[in-house]
Amino acid sequence: MKKLFMVLCVLVIASTLVFAAGSAEKPKAADGGLSGKLVIYTSMYDDVIEAIDETLEKVFPTIDIEFFYGGTGTLQAKIAAEVAAGKLGCDMLMVADPSYALELKAMGVLQPIMINNAADLAFDYDKEGYWYPVRISNMVLAYNPGKFSKADIPNSFYDFAYDKRVEGMISMSNPLTSGTALDTISALKDKYGYEYFTALGQQKVKIESGSVALTKLETGECKVIMILEESVLQKREMDRSKIEVIYPTDGTIVVPSPIMSINDQWSPNKNSAAAKAVTEWFMSEEGQKNIVKAWMHSVSAKYPTPPYDAIPTKEILKNTIPVDWQATVTLREELRTKFQEAVAKK
Amino acid sequence: MRALNPQAPLNEEKHRWFLDPKWLIIIAIVGFLLVFQVFPLVYLVFRAFFSTGTFSLEAFKRVYTYPLNWSALTNTVVAATFSMIFGVLIAFPLAWLVGRTNLYGKKFFRTLFVATYMVPPYVGAMAWMRLLNPTVGSMNMFLQKIFNLGSAPFDIYTMGGLIWVLTGFYYPYAFITISRAMEKMDPSLEEASRISGASPLTTLRTITLPMMLPSIVAAALLVFVAAGSCYGIPSIIGVPGQIHTVTTRIIDFVYIGSQEGLTDATTLAVFLMLIANVVLYLSTFSIGKKQYITVSGKSTRPNIVDLGRWRIPITALVIIFALVVVIIPFVTVALSSITVNLGESVFAEGNITWRYWERIFTRKSIINSARNSLVSAVMAATFGLLVSCMMAYLLVRTNIKGKKIPDFMITVGSGTPSVVIALSLIMSMSGKFGINIYNTLTIMVIAYMIKYMMMGMRTVVSALTQISPSLEEASQISGASWLRSMKNVTLPLIAPALVAGWFLIFMPCFYELTMSTLLYSTNTKTLGYELYTYQTYHNQQTASALATAILFTVFGINWLLNKLTDGEFSI
Repeated sequence: MKKLFMVLCVLVIASTLVFAAGSAEKPKAADGGLSGKLVIYTSMYDDVIEAIDETLEKVFPTIDIEFFYGGTGTLQAKIAAEVAAGKLGCDMLMVADPSYALELKAMGVLQPIMINNAADLAFDYDKEGYWYPVRISNMVLAYNPGKFSKADIPNSFYDFAYDKRVEGMISMSNPLTSGTALDTISALKDKYGYEYFTALGQQKVKIESGSVALTKLETGECKVIMILEESVLQKREMDRSKIEVIYPTDGTIVVPSPIMSINDQWSPNKNSAAAKAVTEWFMSEEGQKNIVKAWMHSVSAKYPTPPYDAIPTKEILKNTIPVDWQATVTLREELRTKFQEAVAKK
Repeated sequence: MRALNPQAPLNEEKHRWFLDPKWLIIIAIVGFLLVFQVFPLVYLVFRAFFSTGTFSLEAFKRVYTYPLNWSALTNTVVAATFSMIFGVLIAFPLAWLVGRTNLYGKKFFRTLFVATYMVPPYVGAMAWMRLLNPTVGSMNMFLQKIFNLGSAPFDIYTMGGLIWVLTGFYYPYAFITISRAMEKMDPSLEEASRISGASPLTTLRTITLPMMLPSIVAAALLVFVAAGSCYGIPSIIGVPGQIHTVTTRIIDFVYIGSQEGLTDATTLAVFLMLIANVVLYLSTFSIGKKQYITVSGKSTRPNIVDLGRWRIPITALVIIFALVVVIIPFVTVALSSITVNLGESVFAEGNITWRYWERIFTRKSIINSARNSLVSAVMAATFGLLVSCMMAYLLVRTNIKGKKIPDFMITVGSGTPSVVIALSLIMSMSGKFGINIYNTLTIMVIAYMIKYMMMGMRTVVSALTQISPSLEEASQISGASWLRSMKNVTLPLIAPALVAGWFLIFMPCFYELTMSTLLYSTNTKTLGYELYTYQTYHNQQTASALATAILFTVFGINWLLNKLTDGEFSI
């Protein structure tokens, strides 16, 4: 019995060490009067969050910034539930789907923030300051030159769905959870009609996340995938992977992801001073440098450097498939439902 | 010590019945279960039938005529049924071999097979995806080479693949149930049969099997409900092959986020709940007595069947089975956690890295989630054990009317699919009826307790049953108060069972996935959810590292337990 008690005591003490690990970050000196907490909901990938979080900690040591990751679809569901309950859980939002910004602005939960370098933006932004594009995500195709040659696989979104050579060996993200995937199928439906979804279903497309799809490219389980350029760039830089981007011949789908702040009535920490500071930082050249380091394209005309070894933003913009953001909002349910029906196993 | 009449009431107090502490305890437990279990489930059913304000089958029609949902329903039933059949077909011979014969390495195999029970099922799904995917699965390629096949023999993204993984992870439920029952079975009938000249096989067929039938049925139904309520496995290997199950559809609907989505989720959940309850009722009805998972204490020595010249071949078979079903998947996951490029062999140049292991110990969100998992699992286990102790005492030592009610409710709770529990709690505990614990750790602890409390209760109940009340009576006669007797006499005797019960609740709560997926919030993410997110969205290698770490933790705790209780503890 004594032995039992002894070991149990040791276990209990050991387990309290877990608590110690979490409380090590307390911001010290005051800096520009900013303080308090800031919760940011984002759909950026975890690696990106970590890199940006570290930088933000150095730039704003007095603000306790917390990122919460969720796929765009997940975050939308969460926010819907929180709106119904009367209080949101986030002070800022950085999701990938621009159409969501339009929706939230209409709901009246956003806070306008006027930044001083809006003129440098190379992309659309809300003139009243409710949202700005903070990063550019590009939906492209990718393949593994070590396993298959570029000539043997589709080089356009159209062929992705119609070229029978890759049947059963293609993959894409789930529009129910991924904002960029939703924008993609919206754009492709505008260009090729709902028949495109049916074709995808007949191609037996696998619906999974970018990271799983990339692994399948590595192993050869998939021949070509529809994926965000930034995921490929990250793998190329971090894992020295040979996977290459194919900028689709029928146009890249360019998604300027917005940054938004929640107004005091809805936000949990009511820290609009911090929100303004962080937004300004993201929109500044310094902030955009970090965005580019995180493998996404910059939104500032003053900082046109592309991430890692991607082609310049200007080149990409020469050939794009446009997205109707307003229509994406109104047709969201229909797009998701029709897509699900089309790709479900018959 | 065998108690001759364990139902003998310890004390018959003639106090005012409403001040009797036992009654207060019952009321407290029943109250807790009413508020957090019965009410939410009832509300769920209500919501499904009354979604538009008046009684209507509208929601049901809409949901069940949608072909995707209908196929999800059939998929779930098919997968669960076959997992049940195969699970029992595997579990029974294994249990017999390990419990009744002179198989080599019995103890080792027993621990190994039970070990799978302690592992999150979705880890297995991750492993099998790597092993048996139709284009580059490592096991597929290996088999292709040996047997000179033209293409991969197996495709994990099929119904067959789903059944294979489900069986591989839920047969331990059957194994444990059947093993335990076999151990408790009186061997004298088998001995009589052997003495009369019957061969071991005939004895098995005519004596053992029929006697074990009730527990085999119970085990089968256990596997059926577990496989049917599973979320992790179908979401990792079913959905990419477009095989949806009721659980994945429910969570899909919840994520759609709209009110309609929630109603549709509710409607599907009611279906699942009905099936689970029907099955539970059948199982209790068919066997009469409930099956216990007990602390091992060998009572009678069964006659060991000598396998003779079959000993080595059968051992070899069991080894192959153990390799394929248990060892290879675990090793695959462990290896993935140190591989940079999963397309190359782990032994290729520069392909080994410890980066992902470093990541899981330093990344903020993972550390926070680990802490949340630890805290909520500890709380669920501790409170659950407290309730279990109280219930055990009530059930075994008293004759209070109504003691069966909370027992029944706790059993129903454990048979209810996790996703249904979580959904019902979300819908009723978000402030609509005064209690708002949505987005807190409390709601998770409550969900865990409802689902897993029964494990602890059964353990403590069976331990208490094995202790004669005469010991406590002797203590009281000698002048000790009731409390003192409990502390000095009963507690030490059931201590191993208490520890076992605590861990039986702790472990599944620690790596739980399904309920955490629905109940998590900004600062209450758990390890299970973290694992799932990394596997599905961020990075498989990190997920594999996390999975391996969880495996080591779980095995480590089990080993520790064994040492602590001097081998007395075993599931």
